[in-house]
Amino acid sequence: MFQNRKEGFALALPAALFIGILFLLPVGILLSEAFQLDGGWSLQGYIDFISKPLNQTVFLRTLKLGFLVAAVSAVIGYASAFCIVNLDPKSRGRIFGMVVLPLMISPVARTYAWIVILGRTGIVNDAIIGLGLSDTPIRILFTETAVFLGLLQLFLPLMIISLVSSMENLPRDAISAARVLGANWLQVFTKIILPLTKEGLVMGGTLVFTGSLTAYITPAILGGAKVLMLETLLYQKVSVSNDYVSASIIATILIAMCFGTNLLLKRIATARE
Amino acid sequence: MKHLLYITTALGLMAGVAQAAEKTLTISVYSFAQDAYKKALYDPFEEKCGCKLVIETGNSVERMAKIEANAANPVIDVAVISSHDALALARKDLLAKIDSTKLTSFDKLYKAAQDPIGGNMAVGYTFYASSIVYRADLLEIDSWADLLSPEVKGRVALPNITGTQGPLTLHMLSQALGHDGIDFTDTINAIGEKSDDIVTFYVRSSQLAQLMQQEEVIAAPVGRFAWSRFSGSELDFKWATPKEGQTGGVNVMLMTKNNGNEDLAYEFMDYWLSTEVQTRIAEAKIDSPANKEVVVSDEIAESLTYGAELINSLNMISPADIIDNRDGWVDLWNEVVIK
Repeated sequence: MFQNRKEGFALALPAALFIGILFLLPVGILLSEAFQLDGGWSLQGYIDFISKPLNQTVFLRTLKLGFLVAAVSAVIGYASAFCIVNLDPKSRGRIFGMVVLPLMISPVARTYAWIVILGRTGIVNDAIIGLGLSDTPIRILFTETAVFLGLLQLFLPLMIISLVSSMENLPRDAISAARVLGANWLQVFTKIILPLTKEGLVMGGTLVFTGSLTAYITPAILGGAKVLMLETLLYQKVSVSNDYVSASIIATILIAMCFGTNLLLKRIATARE
Repeated sequence: MKHLLYITTALGLMAGVAQAAEKTLTISVYSFAQDAYKKALYDPFEEKCGCKLVIETGNSVERMAKIEANAANPVIDVAVISSHDALALARKDLLAKIDSTKLTSFDKLYKAAQDPIGGNMAVGYTFYASSIVYRADLLEIDSWADLLSPEVKGRVALPNITGTQGPLTLHMLSQALGHDGIDFTDTINAIGEKSDDIVTFYVRSSQLAQLMQQEEVIAAPVGRFAWSRFSGSELDFKWATPKEGQTGGVNVMLMTKNNGNEDLAYEFMDYWLSTEVQTRIAEAKIDSPANKEVVVSDEIAESLTYGAELINSLNMISPADIIDNRDGWVDLWNEVVIK
């Protein structure tokens, strides 16, 4: 395309400089703080961080909620995507638009709505009492359940979009052929749909999991101080304690978790081939 | 064309000279009510001094970090902050000593506002009382200990330890539970035992107001500055007068060391502390006055921490006690309450 490689490099240089100077360099400096102690390099900061029971709880909670949100998103996402791709084009456009619509609304507004919905006088508790499941309102706000629901609602569209894209490329007759040959729906899913849509699952899973790990607003509003997650703990370290070393350690752990998840999901997808 | 170039250059030079001649004062303030402050304080001061105010806002930690990072060449001239945060800055030798003779309103201040952190390193500009807001139609609050009673199980919120209200609540709860001094170990453990019965540990009073409006919470400690969020509600909110008394604090204004803008800084501080401005700010229900000559109507006073009797009765915790013990409280809190 280019007459020589120099032209290509020259054209890429502004973008590379932009990313290098304004993103990679500051992130590198920030992360390097997490490996420094008394002027030398050390992992002691990580050892101290992980050795505290509160930090262990927060780390495991973050991992657990990220995994749960990704797993439930995948289940709901497959069902939704399957329905969407089998609709007529007009209906598909409408439904797909409804899936995308929440992404255009501020996460703050969406999360605040959950405070009303999940409150003692909200529709969830009204329904629970109305159905006779409990005599008194149950506390959902400021629990892991509230954070889970908020994150699921926040990131489910990303999973559905990824899976719809993959399913649209699924050979039309593959499912029918499998059914004709006697496969039940579980076999159709595990032998046909899952292998052929794994790229969408990996992409959706990565987006949802990493999004759940790094989302701040939803855990802060729906979990508060009682359901600390790594991202809310990071904010606390910076804005309350002015402890940038601990904040850098948490940031490094979050980045490592995101990259690790992406690699793991890719490995799993590759292993099934 | 040549003439146009001369004229443009001359105008540019004049503008540059005018720019250089204009005095500027950089102040660091809390983010809230900036429109009201502009009307009551900033605009009138700029008009009076013929200078330009540069306003920097942010949370306390960010603003303190900026003062510390620029200690050699201060970019902030005057800051307003809590008394214990001011003491933390003073201990790092970042503040200039306040010469009270340069503040004509100094003698009009309540005694507790004249030297709140010691060493004349800061001057109080506002007081706030803290007590318990509760639903009078559902329960009665007579003591701080009622916050941990079975009557409010699952319906009470407490301020998080990391905020200003956290240590104040611990201070009063400790006294209610029969402990003297600032060793809050037993109190934090008592809260830890009831942690599951507490709806949340709130960070902002606006968050608490929403939770109380939607009846998630029926009792919580809060600063008087937030009372207007509750007093206008259709729900029956009441401000408690516990038998242990009300607690509270004072926010202060300070001047950074060697900022080179001391004269203008004193002029601004004096203006803010004047009866005229303190009255205007009080009537806008922004801050309670530290100037004892301020007179406001009963309706305005209802929203403020107002009057010598109330201010002198506040059961405050010393800024030094907060600074010296806060890290230990936070560690214990995280261990037994947040878990």
